[in-house]
Amino acid sequence: MIAYKLLRSDGTGPFSGREWPPPGIWLEADAVDACRSGVHACRPRHLPLWLGLGELWEVELDGEILEDERKVVAARGRLVRRVDAWNAEAARSFQDACAAEARRRAERTPDLAQYAADVTATPVASVSAYIAARAAELQDGSAGYDAERARQGDWLTSKLGLAG
Amino acid sequence: MKLERDMTCTEIVELITEYLEGGLSTADRERFEEHIGFCDWCLAYLDQMRHTISVVGEIREEDLPDELQQSLLSAFRDWKAGSA
Repeated sequence: MIAYKLLRSDGTGPFSGREWPPPGIWLEADAVDACRSGVHACRPRHLPLWLGLGELWEVELDGEILEDERKVVAARGRLVRRVDAWNAEAARSFQDACAAEARRRAERTPDLAQYAADVTATPVASVSAYIAARAAELQDGSAGYDAERARQGDWLTSKLGLAG
Repeated sequence: MKLERDMTCTEIVELITEYLEGGLSTADRERFEEHIGFCDWCLAYLDQMRHTISVVGEIREEDLPDELQQSLLSAFRDWKAGSA
Protein backbone atom coordinates (compact mmCIF):
# COMPACT_ATOMS: atom_id res chain seq x y z
CA MET A 1 0.00 0.00 0.00
CA ILE A 2 1.23 3.50 -0.81
CA ALA A 3 0.82 5.96 2.06
CA TYR A 4 2.48 9.14 3.33
CA LYS A 5 4.72 10.00 6.23
CA LEU A 6 5.98 13.26 7.74
CA LEU A 7 9.54 13.01 8.99
CA ARG A 8 11.83 15.44 10.79
CA SER A 9 14.68 16.77 8.63
CA ASP A 10 17.08 14.30 10.28
CA GLY A 11 14.95 11.39 9.05
CA THR A 12 13.37 10.54 12.41
CA GLY A 13 9.72 10.01 13.18
CA PRO A 14 8.33 13.05 15.02
CA PHE A 15 6.61 11.04 17.74
CA SER A 16 8.70 7.90 18.04
CA GLY A 17 12.04 9.64 17.54
CA ARG A 18 12.96 6.54 15.54
CA GLU A 19 15.33 6.92 12.61
CA TRP A 20 13.99 5.64 9.29
CA PRO A 21 16.43 3.76 7.06
CA PRO A 22 17.26 5.16 3.61
CA PRO A 23 14.68 4.75 0.81
CA GLY A 24 14.10 1.15 -0.22
CA ILE A 25 15.08 -0.45 3.08
CA TRP A 26 12.28 -1.87 5.22
CA LEU A 27 11.62 -0.62 8.72
CA GLU A 28 10.13 -3.50 10.70
CA ALA A 29 7.85 -3.19 13.74
CA ASP A 30 7.35 -5.65 16.59
CA ALA A 31 3.58 -5.17 16.71
CA VAL A 32 0.78 -3.20 15.07
CA ASP A 33 -0.98 -1.06 17.67
CA ALA A 34 -2.17 2.48 16.88
CA CYS A 35 -0.28 5.18 18.81
CA ARG A 36 1.84 2.54 20.58
CA SER A 37 3.68 0.32 18.17
CA GLY A 38 4.00 -0.21 14.44
CA VAL A 39 4.99 1.82 11.41
CA HIS A 40 2.70 4.86 11.42
CA ALA A 41 1.78 6.70 8.22
CA CYS A 42 -1.32 8.25 6.73
CA ARG A 43 -3.62 8.44 3.73
CA PRO A 44 -3.75 11.71 1.76
CA ARG A 45 -7.09 12.55 3.41
CA HIS A 46 -5.37 12.45 6.82
CA LEU A 47 -2.51 14.72 5.77
CA PRO A 48 -4.02 18.07 6.87
CA LEU A 49 -3.85 16.80 10.46
CA TRP A 50 -0.12 16.07 10.34
CA LEU A 51 1.25 18.65 7.91
CA GLY A 52 3.23 20.49 10.57
CA LEU A 53 5.44 17.56 11.43
CA GLY A 54 8.13 17.97 8.80
CA GLU A 55 9.10 16.71 5.35
CA LEU A 56 6.53 14.79 3.34
CA TRP A 57 7.52 11.32 2.14
CA GLU A 58 5.77 8.70 0.08
CA VAL A 59 6.07 5.31 1.77
CA GLU A 60 5.17 1.73 0.98
CA LEU A 61 3.50 -0.28 3.74
CA ASP A 62 3.35 -4.04 3.94
CA GLY A 63 2.25 -6.90 6.21
CA GLU A 64 -0.57 -6.40 8.70
CA ILE A 65 -2.11 -2.96 8.17
CA LEU A 66 -4.52 -1.25 10.55
CA GLU A 67 -6.70 1.53 9.09
CA ASP A 68 -7.60 4.24 11.58
CA GLU A 69 -9.67 7.42 11.23
CA ARG A 70 -6.55 9.55 11.33
CA LYS A 71 -3.70 7.25 10.33
CA VAL A 72 -2.61 3.82 9.10
CA VAL A 73 -0.34 1.51 11.08
CA ALA A 74 1.61 -1.32 9.50
CA ALA A 75 3.97 -4.13 10.36
CA ARG A 76 6.61 -2.69 8.08
CA GLY A 77 7.25 0.22 5.80
CA ARG A 78 9.89 1.78 3.63
CA LEU A 79 10.50 5.20 2.18
CA VAL A 80 9.86 5.52 -1.55
CA ARG A 81 10.58 9.18 -2.28
CA ARG A 82 10.40 12.58 -0.72
CA VAL A 83 7.45 14.58 -2.08
CA ASP A 84 9.35 17.66 -3.23
CA ALA A 85 6.15 19.18 -4.58
CA TRP A 86 5.34 20.00 -0.94
CA ASN A 87 7.57 23.06 -0.69
CA ALA A 88 7.30 26.68 0.44
CA GLU A 89 5.43 27.72 -2.69
CA ALA A 90 2.91 24.89 -2.38
CA ALA A 91 2.46 25.65 1.32
CA ARG A 92 1.69 29.28 0.45
CA SER A 93 -0.88 28.21 -2.17
CA PHE A 94 -2.43 25.83 0.33
CA GLN A 95 -2.71 28.66 2.87
CA ASP A 96 -4.29 30.89 0.22
CA ALA A 97 -6.88 28.21 -0.48
CA CYS A 98 -7.62 27.86 3.24
CA ALA A 99 -7.89 31.65 3.54
CA ALA A 100 -10.30 31.86 0.58
CA GLU A 101 -12.51 29.23 2.18
CA ALA A 102 -12.42 31.00 5.57
CA ARG A 103 -13.32 34.32 3.92
CA ARG A 104 -16.23 32.64 2.13
CA ARG A 105 -17.49 31.42 5.49
CA ALA A 106 -16.97 34.85 7.07
CA GLU A 107 -19.26 36.38 4.44
CA ARG A 108 -22.03 34.12 5.76
CA THR A 109 -21.02 34.52 9.44
CA PRO A 110 -19.31 37.89 10.07
CA ASP A 111 -18.09 36.75 13.52
CA LEU A 112 -15.62 34.54 11.65
CA ALA A 113 -13.85 37.50 10.05
CA GLN A 114 -11.02 37.36 12.59
CA TYR A 115 -10.52 33.65 11.87
CA ALA A 116 -10.24 34.44 8.17
CA ALA A 117 -7.66 37.13 8.95
CA ASP A 118 -5.69 34.75 11.17
CA VAL A 119 -5.61 32.06 8.46
CA THR A 120 -3.87 34.58 6.21
CA ALA A 121 -1.61 36.08 8.88
CA THR A 122 -0.06 32.96 10.38
CA PRO A 123 3.25 31.93 8.78
CA VAL A 124 2.63 28.20 9.29
CA ALA A 125 0.50 26.26 6.77
CA SER A 126 -0.61 23.61 9.26
CA VAL A 127 -1.84 26.31 11.64
CA SER A 128 -3.74 28.05 8.83
CA ALA A 129 -5.41 24.75 8.03
CA TYR A 130 -6.34 24.22 11.67
CA ILE A 131 -7.83 27.71 12.04
CA ALA A 132 -9.83 27.25 8.84
CA ALA A 133 -11.17 23.95 10.16
CA ARG A 134 -12.10 25.54 13.48
CA ALA A 135 -13.93 28.34 11.65
CA ALA A 136 -15.85 25.72 9.70
CA GLU A 137 -16.70 23.94 12.94
CA LEU A 138 -18.02 27.13 14.50
CA GLN A 139 -20.24 27.63 11.49
CA ASP A 140 -21.45 24.10 10.79
CA GLY A 141 -20.53 22.00 13.81
CA SER A 142 -18.27 18.96 13.70
CA ALA A 143 -19.56 18.13 10.21
CA GLY A 144 -18.17 21.49 9.09
CA TYR A 145 -14.79 20.67 10.61
CA ASP A 146 -14.72 17.32 8.84
CA ALA A 147 -15.82 18.88 5.54
CA GLU A 148 -13.06 21.49 5.73
CA ARG A 149 -10.41 18.89 6.56
CA ALA A 150 -11.69 16.79 3.63
CA ARG A 151 -11.46 19.83 1.34
CA GLN A 152 -7.87 20.39 2.47
CA GLY A 153 -7.04 16.72 1.89
CA ASP A 154 -8.50 16.89 -1.62
CA TRP A 155 -6.46 20.03 -2.35
CA LEU A 156 -3.22 18.36 -1.26
CA THR A 157 -4.01 15.17 -3.17
CA SER A 158 -4.74 17.05 -6.34
CA LYS A 159 -2.02 19.72 -6.25
CA LEU A 160 0.77 17.42 -5.04
CA GLY A 161 -0.25 14.51 -7.28
CA LEU A 162 -0.60 12.09 -4.37
CA ALA A 163 -1.88 8.55 -4.71
CA GLY A 164 -5.37 8.82 -3.23
CA MET B 1 -13.15 12.44 12.48
CA LYS B 2 -13.15 15.52 14.71
CA LEU B 3 -11.86 14.73 18.18
CA GLU B 4 -14.31 15.44 20.98
CA ARG B 5 -12.03 18.02 22.58
CA ASP B 6 -8.83 19.63 21.32
CA MET B 7 -5.81 19.93 23.56
CA THR B 8 -4.41 23.40 24.18
CA CYS B 9 -0.74 24.45 24.15
CA THR B 10 -0.87 24.84 27.95
CA GLU B 11 -2.08 21.25 28.33
CA ILE B 12 0.70 20.04 26.02
CA VAL B 13 3.29 21.65 28.31
CA GLU B 14 1.67 20.10 31.39
CA LEU B 15 1.45 16.62 29.87
CA ILE B 16 4.67 16.37 27.92
CA THR B 17 6.60 14.38 30.53
CA GLU B 18 3.77 11.90 30.92
CA TYR B 19 3.57 11.62 27.14
CA LEU B 20 7.28 10.90 26.80
CA GLU B 21 7.06 8.31 29.57
CA GLY B 22 4.14 6.57 27.83
CA GLY B 23 1.73 7.36 30.66
CA LEU B 24 -1.13 8.97 28.72
CA SER B 25 -4.32 7.09 27.90
CA THR B 26 -4.83 6.25 24.23
CA ALA B 27 -7.43 9.03 23.89
CA ASP B 28 -5.17 11.65 25.47
CA ARG B 29 -2.20 10.45 23.47
CA GLU B 30 -4.23 10.86 20.30
CA ARG B 31 -5.29 14.40 21.29
CA PHE B 32 -1.72 15.24 22.25
CA GLU B 33 -0.33 14.05 18.91
CA GLU B 34 -3.03 15.74 16.88
CA HIS B 35 -2.16 19.06 18.50
CA ILE B 36 1.54 18.52 17.80
CA GLY B 37 0.59 17.64 14.21
CA PHE B 38 -0.28 21.25 13.41
CA CYS B 39 1.35 23.32 16.16
CA ASP B 40 4.86 24.28 15.14
CA TRP B 41 5.66 25.71 18.57
CA CYS B 42 4.63 22.63 20.55
CA LEU B 43 6.51 20.42 18.10
CA ALA B 44 9.64 22.48 18.76
CA TYR B 45 9.03 22.08 22.49
CA LEU B 46 8.68 18.31 22.10
CA ASP B 47 11.96 18.20 20.13
CA GLN B 48 13.70 20.25 22.84
CA MET B 49 12.40 18.04 25.65
CA ARG B 50 13.44 14.88 23.84
CA HIS B 51 16.90 16.34 23.20
CA THR B 52 17.24 17.49 26.82
CA ILE B 53 16.30 14.04 28.12
CA SER B 54 18.77 12.34 25.79
CA VAL B 55 21.61 14.61 26.98
CA VAL B 56 20.77 14.95 30.66
CA GLY B 57 19.68 11.31 30.90
CA GLU B 58 23.32 10.31 30.57
CA ILE B 59 24.27 12.05 33.81
CA ARG B 60 24.44 9.66 36.80
CA GLU B 61 23.78 10.72 40.36
CA GLU B 62 27.40 10.15 41.31
CA ASP B 63 28.54 12.46 38.48
CA LEU B 64 27.13 15.47 40.36
CA PRO B 65 29.37 17.29 42.83
CA ASP B 66 28.12 17.02 46.46
CA GLU B 67 27.43 20.73 46.61
CA LEU B 68 25.18 20.59 43.53
CA GLN B 69 23.36 17.51 44.83
CA GLN B 70 22.62 19.27 48.12
CA SER B 71 21.45 22.41 46.39
CA LEU B 72 19.09 20.42 44.13
CA LEU B 73 17.72 18.43 47.06
CA SER B 74 17.16 21.64 48.96
CA ALA B 75 15.42 23.30 46.01
CA PHE B 76 13.03 20.38 45.54
CA ARG B 77 12.40 20.11 49.27
CA ASP B 78 11.35 23.77 49.32
CA TRP B 79 9.32 23.37 46.13
CA LYS B 80 7.40 20.46 47.70
CA ALA B 81 6.76 22.46 50.86
CA GLY B 82 5.64 25.46 48.83
CA SER B 83 3.19 23.47 46.73
CA ALA B 84 1.53 21.66 49.69
